[in-house]
Amino acid sequence: MATSGNKNINAKLVLLGDVGAGKSSLVLRFVKGQFVEFQESTIGAAFFSQTLAVNDATVKFEIWDTAGQERYHSLAPMYYRGAAAAIIVYDMTNLASFERAKKWVQELQAQGNPNMVMALAGNKADLLDARKVTAEEAQTYAQEHGLFFMETSAKTATNVNDIFYEIAKRLPRVQPAPNPSGMVLMDRPAERTAAASCCS
Amino acid sequence: MTELPPYPPIEPSNFDLIIVGTGLPESILAAAASAIGKSVLHLDPNPFYGSHFASLPPDDLSSFLDPHPSSPDHAAPSEGDGLASAIINLRSLYSDVEISSFAPETLEQHSRKFNLDLAGPRVLFCADKAIDAILRSGANQYVEFKSIDASLFYDKDGNLVNVPDSRAAIFKDKSLSLVEKNVLMRFFKLVQQHFSGDGESDRISEEDLASPFFEFLAKMRLPEKIKSVILYAISMADYDQGDKEACKVVISTKDGIERLALYHSSVGRFPNAVGALIYPIYGLGELAQAFCRRAAVKGCIYVLRMPVIALHMDKECGQYRGVRLGSGQDIFSHKLVLEPSFTVQSSIGSQPQNSLMENVQVKAKVARGICILTSSLRPDVSNFLIVYPPRSLYPEQVTSVRVLQIGGNLAVCPSGMFVLYLSALCDEASWGKKILHRAINALINHDDSKISEGTPPSTVQTEDARADPLLLWRALYIQELTAGQVESVSSTPMPDGSLGFNDALDATVKLFQTIYPHEEFFPETPAEDPEDDGALSVET
Repeated sequence: MATSGNKNINAKLVLLGDVGAGKSSLVLRFVKGQFVEFQESTIGAAFFSQTLAVNDATVKFEIWDTAGQERYHSLAPMYYRGAAAAIIVYDMTNLASFERAKKWVQELQAQGNPNMVMALAGNKADLLDARKVTAEEAQTYAQEHGLFFMETSAKTATNVNDIFYEIAKRLPRVQPAPNPSGMVLMDRPAERTAAASCCS
Repeated sequence: MTELPPYPPIEPSNFDLIIVGTGLPESILAAAASAIGKSVLHLDPNPFYGSHFASLPPDDLSSFLDPHPSSPDHAAPSEGDGLASAIINLRSLYSDVEISSFAPETLEQHSRKFNLDLAGPRVLFCADKAIDAILRSGANQYVEFKSIDASLFYDKDGNLVNVPDSRAAIFKDKSLSLVEKNVLMRFFKLVQQHFSGDGESDRISEEDLASPFFEFLAKMRLPEKIKSVILYAISMADYDQGDKEACKVVISTKDGIERLALYHSSVGRFPNAVGALIYPIYGLGELAQAFCRRAAVKGCIYVLRMPVIALHMDKECGQYRGVRLGSGQDIFSHKLVLEPSFTVQSSIGSQPQNSLMENVQVKAKVARGICILTSSLRPDVSNFLIVYPPRSLYPEQVTSVRVLQIGGNLAVCPSGMFVLYLSALCDEASWGKKILHRAINALINHDDSKISEGTPPSTVQTEDARADPLLLWRALYIQELTAGQVESVSSTPMPDGSLGFNDALDATVKLFQTIYPHEEFFPETPAEDPEDDGALSVET
């Protein structure tokens, strides 16, 4: 959810898209500035945070990756809950992944919060020769469905920071009715050491 | 997304462990096995997470309770490679399901805003073992909680009084006399010393520990009213402890003071929690989802909407080898865990591990009820627990009824509405239903005839009755209670009749240790390793 206070905005951002479209690569490029040519399917990473300063606010993104649960279409409702923004990623060298992206947009519109900022990312823009989805087609689709569109390359870093920056700019500065928020459970340090000493 | 292309086949086709069902015990098991590096395939025939621990909209809940007859006419898997097949059947845990909707349109309009717990009323004690599992697994990153604001007790004069569950609560209590306060304080101190004291003299004697809690409380000369509060509202006893004939489960002093200690160590464990009890935002179903996400992060593969239609068994020894999926694919694994509504029909004959699965004995039952209300039962609080001890509603009531109200601020229903969960143990469905009906009648001034004629609720509401909650929807059902099995094919525990998760966790840990006897249940990870979860900055 996006909560504002002194122009510090916390925003949950979810990634959606076909397996292999480059969701994790986009995040890794954005968060760590890295690119791995043969990124394994997402295992082990599920939660990133990164802070961006835009003109009037500091946006702290809490980025949720799918943890592979999208592979057999088994994402939990928890994934969408309270998301302020989403990036739907497709591989512009793969027509099926674009079709799949449209399904994810539908799913998001059914499950997600109606004020969500949605971005459509045509990833792998460095592979121009293999392009199967034209920018015009994607742009038209995005406009019709209330998304903004960019072609990105996690490999060359093209438009990667830009797409997150654009989302940060578009996030509502005052959230009308925030989702209910409660307490996050944390082990108190005292308990942690106590537990450690008695088990060792 | 109904018109999706068919699933790609599941890869690989060999796993260490296959788990069917995504209820809380199964999900914890998936996360625990994945955390120690086992390859896990986690399946669920349903399109949602949570199985018997799910939180669902009213319509989905109705159809889960009252399932369509399953069609076991799948072609039997061909037998070859030394494998025989065993047919797997779905058996419903629920019976006597009664659903009444008094305002279908209102519900339809908000349908997606409801997350109704199948296994309610259930909350987390802050010191519950489930909380430890949530913290140790890292599932705490994904769920937020709120406090249950009040815990109430229906005393024998017919008043709802606050449960004096902590020193502060005793101090504030206006219904207790000074003498009663002192007696209670002294008793709490006695129990505390038993657990924390060093000297032998601080401990309650073995003889007392083995005696019924009821008798021990009498021996301590606790007044009747306080005895009742401790037994039913703190130790959460189900049966009338004072009636030797009707009481099927006698709480021993040892169990009683452990439950009391759980309650006490829950109070104040988390700085933001006002009492002993907390509840997850969006309902209990979030807990299973959070553990599944932890499992997925550690490599567990998730496939919803995927039934298992048969098991492959070794012809020679009758051992389990693998499963045939609804898609026709065969997947093999060393171990299999099934949620409790599956039974296995073996064609091999009398192998012990198969016959055990078929002889599921139904011992006790729990009657559960869910009501959707237009306003809170109490003007001052929205999330609270009420305990009706045995015989408080009518003389033949042999078990306690626990009632939990959860409001829209916990995102289980649209804001302004409230959900009421009730449960009572019973031997027969008719008793259980009667207890719930009596409790509902005591709580809600409901006139079926007024609303069921299709009048929208707003017109029924008169000026005077504005504060009276109206019943929009009600579900009553009986769930059986049997313990999980532990064999080469294991089954997880079903939701029990208790208020918390301690027993379910014990059973789950035991199952884990049977499957992986040399492994630790959620080993402690190096603390605060920022790369642990791939995160650059760890949320604090």
